[in-house]
Amino acid sequence: MRLHADRLYAVVIRFGAPGGEAEEIVQETFVRAWRAIGRFKGESQFFTWLYRIAINEAKRHMTRRAAQLERVASDDMALESIGDRAPSPQLRAEHQDLRAALERAVRALPMDYRIPLVLRDIEGLSTAQAAAVMQLREPAFKSRLHRARLAVREAMEDYLDVEDQA
Amino acid sequence: MNGGPIKRRIFMRQHRWTHARLSDYLDGELSHRDEERVEQHTRICPECSRLLATLRGTLRELMGLHDEPLPSVADGVIERLRRSW
Ligand SMILES: [Zn+2]
Repeated sequence: MRLHADRLYAVVIRFGAPGGEAEEIVQETFVRAWRAIGRFKGESQFFTWLYRIAINEAKRHMTRRAAQLERVASDDMALESIGDRAPSPQLRAEHQDLRAALERAVRALPMDYRIPLVLRDIEGLSTAQAAAVMQLREPAFKSRLHRARLAVREAMEDYLDVEDQA
Repeated sequence: MNGGPIKRRIFMRQHRWTHARLSDYLDGELSHRDEERVEQHTRICPECSRLLATLRGTLRELMGLHDEPLPSVADGVIERLRRSW
């Protein structure tokens, strides 16, 4: 339970929800999931649905409180809390910089591009699964994913150069 | 007639085609034939070759985010969920 909730919490934060709201979203998503659990045949169908509910909840929250989302500060705190909890020896400092820059680049994407990238590239869903979560046809999903990746790549170019030479 | 402009046009067509398919290439979602087409072009196009390498690096780093320590939902929230579960 704790593991599933924390996993979904990380995803919802990356979708762009500020920390406090992300907890609410996780809670609402699980409560809905519990109510509907009889409708699902397999585990994969259930998780597809769980992510979809989380996306809808996240979007609903963000529309409702669009103005507050503009306050990047709380958003920053929620995202950085992911890295902050890492046991980070000095050796990993450079890598932490890269990770922080990467999180910023992901967060800078518009929602419709950020979600495909989070689901496919961070959460590791297959193209078919992630497209199903978003209720998009695969070609439409792939085209958004490609554009999202290109944007993140561009933001990360300098960091990647350093990495490649190392 | 001069073959230059025609070659250039073919090159640019391959460039646009490849550029749009680099993600599919990295995801292993192209046919064998299309994979070869991408490889053929990236061998002679510095821009696509660099794009491919940095895109590959970006994906590797994004995958790494999955293994970052998870943030924790507050204990109270978990308690409430356990009760309703
Ligand atoms: Zn090219």
